[in-house]
Amino acid sequence: MPIIKATNIKRTFGEGDLTTHVLKGIDLTVETGEFLAIMGKSGAGKSTLMYQLSVLDEPTEGEIIVDDVDVVQLNEHERTSFRLNTLGYVFQNYALVPDLSAEENVMLPLLMRNYDWQTAKAMARVAIDGVGLEGKYLNLPAELSGGEQQRISIARAVAGKPKILFADEPTANLDTVSGTQVIDLIAQVNRDEKQTVVMVTHEREYAMGCDRIVHMRDGEVVDIEQLK
Amino acid sequence: MRSLRIGFLLGFRQIQRANFWTTALIIFVMTLTFLNLIAVSGILVGLIAGSERAVQEKSIGDIIITPLDTEDKILQTETIRRTLETIPEISNFSVRYQSGGQITANYKTRRDLNDEPNAIGTSIVGIDPTVEDSVTKLSQSVVEGRYFIPGESGKIILGALILDRYTAGFADLTGSLEEVFPGDTVRVSIGGAVREFEVIGIVNAKAGDVAGQAYIPTQELRRLSGSVSRNADAIVVRLDDYTPEFAGEVKQILLNQDLDEFAKIRTFDEALPKFLTDIKQTFSILGSLIGAIGLVVASITIFIIIFINAISRRQQIGILKGIGIERRAIEIAYVIQAAFYGIVGSLFGVLITYGFLIGYFDRNPIDFPFSDGILVAPPEETLTRFLILLVVTLLAGLLPAWLIVKQNTLNSILGRK
Repeated sequence: MPIIKATNIKRTFGEGDLTTHVLKGIDLTVETGEFLAIMGKSGAGKSTLMYQLSVLDEPTEGEIIVDDVDVVQLNEHERTSFRLNTLGYVFQNYALVPDLSAEENVMLPLLMRNYDWQTAKAMARVAIDGVGLEGKYLNLPAELSGGEQQRISIARAVAGKPKILFADEPTANLDTVSGTQVIDLIAQVNRDEKQTVVMVTHEREYAMGCDRIVHMRDGEVVDIEQLK
Repeated sequence: MRSLRIGFLLGFRQIQRANFWTTALIIFVMTLTFLNLIAVSGILVGLIAGSERAVQEKSIGDIIITPLDTEDKILQTETIRRTLETIPEISNFSVRYQSGGQITANYKTRRDLNDEPNAIGTSIVGIDPTVEDSVTKLSQSVVEGRYFIPGESGKIILGALILDRYTAGFADLTGSLEEVFPGDTVRVSIGGAVREFEVIGIVNAKAGDVAGQAYIPTQELRRLSGSVSRNADAIVVRLDDYTPEFAGEVKQILLNQDLDEFAKIRTFDEALPKFLTDIKQTFSILGSLIGAIGLVVASITIFIIIFINAISRRQQIGILKGIGIERRAIEIAYVIQAAFYGIVGSLFGVLITYGFLIGYFDRNPIDFPFSDGILVAPPEETLTRFLILLVVTLLAGLLPAWLIVKQNTLNSILGRK
């Protein structure tokens, strides 16, 4: 059963002669529980596609249904609320709040979802334990390595058990060992929690654990590789 | 509510993790702003308030009783005196008699009658030295020599403003006695009567006409002027405690006894010259204007601080919005920072104002020619100004946060314009 259904997605930037067509009418379906990778060279439009699917951007044209909600029709407040309650994000640059401890960073979306402080704290600790960083609850991001920060970022994304986890080049700033650990964690989340994962990456070895790989070039899907 | 909770968490942690010296500098600026708001107008108003206080303490008291506009003297002075003695709210009162006279200093040494006499026409005030001192603390205004000793006679105390050495530049206009010191003898003439007095002291005060007249005991003035009437020229009343309301209540007691048929009864505030209250209001407005400029500078400072803070965290703000944190929560975080700077800065300002400045200026008034300036900072006005500063600070914090937070989420995340 599809959890994401994108139809004829177009995204353009600029106007008139300066118009750039970054996405040129993409149709894509993501099944519930699927681990999907989007690959392509720089400028292929893979991140732009993920931003549309993850409700961070609005397509110029087309329809996107996520978890039975037509997200293109949502206003800004509804989009924020939808992202909070349905989606989880892992960004390339970890995106942790530097003034908050690891634990508080993970708690942030939980508190926003109205969990009380103690429950949010307990859930955050479980999530941090789950990414193998027991005992680093109170560390500030600056006191963690890049790999550890990205694992905290994954903990933040999955602590509230979102229906879909989006990861935008999560290994881009990591060494090979840390990168592999992060990909393993994301795969584990997909495997154990049955969460749908959509990941953008430009490294094939990291995409090999996925169910499917969507290959893009010049704003179009050129191939869909079925791995499992 | 949840936005408030997240806002508090983000704002509190930002303050907690901020560079100590940067925070200290911002708080210092806010403290100076608060002092600018409170102290500048407080000192300007305090110049007049100091003058008022001196007039109240040394000259006209808490309630002043003077002749009716149609009379030269207070009628039924003894009746009024007896009534005043029965009112428990009155701690003391001084009955003053007054007569125009001439004081001559060089009458013994002036060989040539064509020489200019060293004399001045002035007001001679008859007082009960002990009672007057208990009401106006006249003895504390003695700057040379000494005050009266009870029971002594033939002594006079001169106001400094009738002496040449105290009146400096404007003595030519008013006339003055030259080279008169405690221990010297002067001749006092009232009407046709003349008597010698020994100058025992000089009084000086920046209050009304305290320093512009001469003082002798009442009996000697009455004897000299040959007056048989006991009707006085002024009765200065001191209350147990002074507030305008309390003085009004005591005045009402006097009015209830129909004393206004014999004299004009005014509280200190009613007797205060209108020009003083006008100047006070003008200075207050002036102080507020200067304070408002400080307020604008402070709000711009806070705006810039929060704007730089928010713009340097634009990507982080975008990511927070991206993961579902509401705009309002992020804005609250910045407003809390601004509130922290405003409140802590103001608290330091309050501590400095009430813990140090007011006491300091009370002990060391600013020496102005017409008054001893103090710092006036009524708590209710301070609270009002604090609230104004806080509101302005909050707005100055909210505006830049709003400008940054309202930007497109993805553009903020990607650092795009």
